[in-house]
Amino acid sequence: MIKSEQRQAIEELVYRSCLALDSGDYKAFLDLCDEAFRYTITTHSAEIKRDMVWLDHDRKGMETLFTNLPHHNSDHSPLTRHATVYTVDLEGQEASVVSALQVFRTQLDGGATELFAVGRFHDTVKLDGGTAKLVKRVVRLDTRQLGYGYHIPF
Amino acid sequence: MGRTAAEWNAPPKFPATHYVDSRLYTDEAIFGEEKEKLFRPSWIIACHESELPEAFDYRLFTHPAGVPLIVVRGDDARVRAFYNICPHRGNTILYDPSGNAKRMTCIFHQWSYDTRGNCVDITREEQGYQNRFSKKDVGLREVKCEVAYGGFVWVNLLDDCVPLREFIGGALDILEPYMQEPMELFHFHKARVRTNFKLWHDTNSEFYHDYMHYFNRITGMLQPGYFERKYTPFPNGHATVGSMQIQYDKYEGSKERAVGWPKMARGGWYMVDLFPGMTYNLRTSVMRIDTSIPLGPNEVLIEFRGLGLKRDTPEERAQRVFDHNTIWGPFGRNLHEDLLGVTGQGRAMRKGTDSRWVLQGREENSTIHDEVGMRHYYAEWSQRMGRPAYAPY
Ligand code: FES
Ligand SMILES: [Fe+2]
Repeated sequence: MIKSEQRQAIEELVYRSCLALDSGDYKAFLDLCDEAFRYTITTHSAEIKRDMVWLDHDRKGMETLFTNLPHHNSDHSPLTRHATVYTVDLEGQEASVVSALQVFRTQLDGGATELFAVGRFHDTVKLDGGTAKLVKRVVRLDTRQLGYGYHIPF
Repeated sequence: MGRTAAEWNAPPKFPATHYVDSRLYTDEAIFGEEKEKLFRPSWIIACHESELPEAFDYRLFTHPAGVPLIVVRGDDARVRAFYNICPHRGNTILYDPSGNAKRMTCIFHQWSYDTRGNCVDITREEQGYQNRFSKKDVGLREVKCEVAYGGFVWVNLLDDCVPLREFIGGALDILEPYMQEPMELFHFHKARVRTNFKLWHDTNSEFYHDYMHYFNRITGMLQPGYFERKYTPFPNGHATVGSMQIQYDKYEGSKERAVGWPKMARGGWYMVDLFPGMTYNLRTSVMRIDTSIPLGPNEVLIEFRGLGLKRDTPEERAQRVFDHNTIWGPFGRNLHEDLLGVTGQGRAMRKGTDSRWVLQGREENSTIHDEVGMRHYYAEWSQRMGRPAYAPY
């Protein structure tokens, strides 16, 4: 049975990961991740009836993606990630965590906010004493039409 | 020094073939004409054969001229295409974007069609029609359909269209050696962006904008061979760009691509832009296909496909997917930049902004930063539209 402190630590980890990415603090995000961290975005195409991988990086790959960002021409409108932790299944020191995810985008000019994407986080979290670290994050997107897209993952 | 209104409106100091009037991207009437004169008579890629592997598999596709289509593999393995419009009271016959349908049955009054377009059941036929009217009077509207040039399913709405081969006019010859083995689709997504469809095609037809792509500057523009790539114009508005060797290891986080493409030199890259809005893009390990479906003068839906080889091992496929995603996925480095770029054009050139001209005046002996690819497109545009792109009114 999961203790309430454990559940709390896990939830906070998920929420802190959103806050870190929302504010563009990639160091803070990576600090929440284990050395063996792997990040993947997947979705299922109802058109071609296939599961697709849209992004897949290990920790090093994520670091590089973040450090290359200033070289690229990107949409600068900020994202707001809204997660709700639905389920936490703990086995030993590892938890499988499923959260609902909504991503909103706010235009810089005028500040209009639109729903950008919905999906789920399927996280694997390692509990080590009092600290929780992200070992794996699979973002399963329901939304497949993202307009001109985005350079920073969810 | 800034220019006055008079100077801004004056035609650019180029031959008239080297610029276009930017109202080409905003005018409703021109847009309506383009659907009829450019898209309706053209052969268009609806999907890839690997999207319909089994008998009775179907895929829906909205033709750029506006017609909803069903592409379906028959019991005889042949791929055919029909209007997705029920001849009875005009309902949509198939609703899901893909599936398997031995009988295509309209939900409304349950008329049924087979994969050859025959109506095979009219509910309470005799009671309603006696012998005045029967199934044979209500076959589906079939459109010309061919599987060719890498296993793509091409459709044409006209009964008396030119043959596909004549339409392509040799433009895909450059890719023929690399399309001998069966390909398989692994990626599909759509992007709806606020811009004119021609601006997307232009972006696929000029490489000068590699300045926008950090990835391409590092792996391409700064590398030997880049400025030797050449454009070749083909009949009917198509154009190709020859290869160079991309140095993928120059981009931090990318590396030399381990999985190549049969017969193609390592790091090769070929592009074929097909009038009025499709692109083959074979880059090292992945074939990408763009199909533009214009929705309005300032809105386009682009279908993006990524393909590998049917015989890929799981490891090879994973590598192709990775290569694809790095630059071309919805989170890829280049695709976002390209789509952002044309969206910016759409914003600056939407109706009422007083944009005036688009320059296509670079001449560099048809090499990579020459704007001949776009000029060639607008020459065909002018011919088909019966008015010059620099003076459309
Ligand atoms: S509209 Fe299709 S059966 Fe009546
Ligand atoms: Fe580009």
